[in-house]
Amino acid sequence: MRKCHKSFRADKSGQLLIVAALAIAVLISSTTMYVYELSQKTGSVKSFSVGDSILALKQETNNAVMSSLVNVSNGGEAAVLSANLNELSFTVSRLRYSGMFRLDFALLNDSPYDSGIWISWNTQGTGISGAYANLTLHTNGETEETTTHYTINTTTVLALNGSYIALSGEEKLVSLTLKLDKDGESAAVRDCALFYDDGGGWLYVNTSENLSVFDFGNGTYFFSFVVTTASNQLSVIAQVHDLRGVYVEASTTCSN
Amino acid sequence: MRRGDRGQIRIIEAFLAVVVIFSSLAISTNLTMTSHSVKRTDLESVGLQVMLKLDSEGKLANYVVSGDWSVLGKAIALVLPEGVCFNLSVYDNQLQRLNPDSISNGSFTSEDVAFVEYICTTRTSVFQCYILRLQLGLVVS
Repeated sequence: MRKCHKSFRADKSGQLLIVAALAIAVLISSTTMYVYELSQKTGSVKSFSVGDSILALKQETNNAVMSSLVNVSNGGEAAVLSANLNELSFTVSRLRYSGMFRLDFALLNDSPYDSGIWISWNTQGTGISGAYANLTLHTNGETEETTTHYTINTTTVLALNGSYIALSGEEKLVSLTLKLDKDGESAAVRDCALFYDDGGGWLYVNTSENLSVFDFGNGTYFFSFVVTTASNQLSVIAQVHDLRGVYVEASTTCSN
Repeated sequence: MRRGDRGQIRIIEAFLAVVVIFSSLAISTNLTMTSHSVKRTDLESVGLQVMLKLDSEGKLANYVVSGDWSVLGKAIALVLPEGVCFNLSVYDNQLQRLNPDSISNGSFTSEDVAFVEYICTTRTSVFQCYILRLQLGLVVS
């Protein structure tokens, strides 16, 4: 009888050990899962930081393209865009501490673009200054490698149209409407110069021509001035800088 | 034989106790390291956000081009959260340091130091690239 009782106790002790081992296993598993989840959260913060870096580099690429367009539209060579992006790419390669970055670019050469630049200042009342570049940013971080493709496409478009009313003699009251768009949205004019052809050459329109300006506040401007010319077809040129400094000009012919 | 069984159970118990103790030590070490790295990465993110904010308004390049280092330091201090100290160095793309004196808002007292590297470019017709290296630390009171 005593032997049977002892044997039962020994069996019971074994069961308790199994239960204890299972409980410990569950504890260790749940702790491991918790630690794994924490490490995943840390990873997501790091990738957010890489995302910020990519965002920052995109902004600088945008600056490079914008700076090039300002330069080229003001008389610089189209090769400036390639030179500036090369300089940025070189600077990116010199980053040491926030991961390894490499910036590659390709300039659009399909018509109407030439080396990524589109300058079209025609006589039909429209002027366009634009730049276009395809970029690839390779990021080699501590934990991941990413490749980001993006495009920078920026344009400034000037639309000009006008007419005149004949006054006494050869005097004409000219009315011009000028509209400026930047990347498809209305944009403000930083400065504007108007010229008209009096038959002998281009003359600058100033206050002596009773020049008046009305700003509609949405990128649209109305100009009126009085000129004296015998010609029935009055050619007018508007030369404009937007707030970024991008130059664009357009010419149109005003009729009665 | 029964005495031998008892001995084996004690050995298993001791082994289990050792496993529990060592696993808890390993887990607590991991937890401490995780908490430190999150803090440092947060600082990196804060530093990048500060640079992005100043750069999006175009002020950053203006300060660098004009060489107005004290105003640049004040602008960064204004945008940074309270309790964060910084030290900034500005380089051209040949890695020549441009600021002769330190641009900072105090000395570092924390072991948690984050490092942010930022490229700043001009938007004017003359394109220039600069590298800004910003060190950030938490002020320990």
